[in-house]
Amino acid sequence: MFSVSQDFAPPFKLISPFFIIGSLFYLLSVIFLFFFSVENLSMLDTKILSFVHLFLLGFVMMTIFGAMAQLVPVVLEVGHFGVELFYAIWPLLGIGTIMMAFGFLSYPMLLPFGGVVVLIAMMIFVMEIFLTIKKVKEFNLVISSILISNIFLFFGIIFGLIMALGYAGMISVDIHTLLKSHVFLVIVGYIIITIMGLSLVLLPMFGLSHGFSKKPLKISMTIVSLSVLSVMISSLSGVVFMEYVGYTLAALGLFVYFYFIKTIYKTRARKEIDVYAKSLIFAYFSLISSLVLGLSYLLSGYEPLLLTSVWMIFFGFFAFTITGHMYKIVPFLVWFERFSPLVGKQKVPMLADMLPAKSASAQFIFCALGVLVVAAALLLQDEVVLKAGASFLLVGALAFLRSVFYMINYKQNII
Amino acid sequence: MYTKEELFLAISTVIDPEVGFNLVEMGLIYDASCDDEGNAYIKMTLSTKACPMHQLIQQWVKEAVKKMAGIKSVEIDLVWEPEWNITMADDNVKKALGG
Repeated sequence: MFSVSQDFAPPFKLISPFFIIGSLFYLLSVIFLFFFSVENLSMLDTKILSFVHLFLLGFVMMTIFGAMAQLVPVVLEVGHFGVELFYAIWPLLGIGTIMMAFGFLSYPMLLPFGGVVVLIAMMIFVMEIFLTIKKVKEFNLVISSILISNIFLFFGIIFGLIMALGYAGMISVDIHTLLKSHVFLVIVGYIIITIMGLSLVLLPMFGLSHGFSKKPLKISMTIVSLSVLSVMISSLSGVVFMEYVGYTLAALGLFVYFYFIKTIYKTRARKEIDVYAKSLIFAYFSLISSLVLGLSYLLSGYEPLLLTSVWMIFFGFFAFTITGHMYKIVPFLVWFERFSPLVGKQKVPMLADMLPAKSASAQFIFCALGVLVVAAALLLQDEVVLKAGASFLLVGALAFLRSVFYMINYKQNII
Repeated sequence: MYTKEELFLAISTVIDPEVGFNLVEMGLIYDASCDDEGNAYIKMTLSTKACPMHQLIQQWVKEAVKKMAGIKSVEIDLVWEPEWNITMADDNVKKALGG
């Protein structure tokens, strides 16, 4: 008999703050969009930097960290080194994110302090993951991906802190030299490789896919990891050629990854296109759009293409991958905590019963429309279209928040 | 003491809350037997190794069998070979999932 132990599930009260706060940061990021003007948008605009940190740290990282608290024991088949440490992560990450957002916006002196608070939160997370991985006896592709992504995160946040100190004028450092490394280490090295690794576990599990090859994922993860290293080497050595090698490798790796996802989709037994499936289809469509736009930018140098590419990967790929999975992970956690002890004693709901069908559907439709309309606004440089897209997203983000609270507070009238 | 069919019938009360089907119609129960002393043996699998309800499901199977009169012990043999796939499920499951 093979033993696959999952008796290390952390309590829901530990994980729920990550999801609630993450959803609130998503809403805040969407509200932020109303204060942008398309005319002067630039990647290094302080408003953009504030917005990006609010979205990536507050929503993306916060939600991923919460999900990892639950998924790590399942994937690694060992208990957490110190799951209680997660109680410290969300308050620190939340406070640090707000300080950094304000720091970029109008109080640069807040940046190093916010940066240090975020650094502490992330170091706790990274060290906890490393020490948990240390307990693993046999490595597989998913565990390797978690290890690689966390190593990239470790270096990414160190680079980020040095930049924050430089930005506040506390140390003298060439921020632009470190910027590309920081961006690639955190966004590609951590977020994307984490999503890639977890997709091997989550997508076949929810879609009941079998009989697909893992080889494309292995190839794509290797290529994407090499791309991060190339950009980092270029950033530190000043060899511009390596930077373009990195971009090309990243695009290539992600195209191979997309092919892998297609094979999972093709071999799934569960054909139902529910809000989870719709969200992921939109997410991967956004990923491909982003790659095409990014490559177009490399060829043309037209900056709106780059902005739109980044937009599609952030609010299309990242956001929909996360929101889609929230409709699976949150009901499961609530069910596990609240209803699993009642199995065999009383009638209990199915996980699908715990989904707020209308608000989930509204979230998907309005957010998808919002993402596409904002993308059009960025390409067309149209102020009115941008506000229209932001309005769609606002309705979608409110519907998402409602869905999260509905699922977390789900109670069944047991007869 | 009990036939394979009787044990399967008892286990069919266990439902996977994610897909909404019972474990028997999902094809997750490979074999079952019970000796004259009331010691039951269940050979089963799960749809994925990463199933977070892994232990709960085994516990539910044990409880479902233990409810049968005269059962003293239940041994669960969780196996990954042959690997489960949708062809092992009943037609109604395939039809519903394929919808």
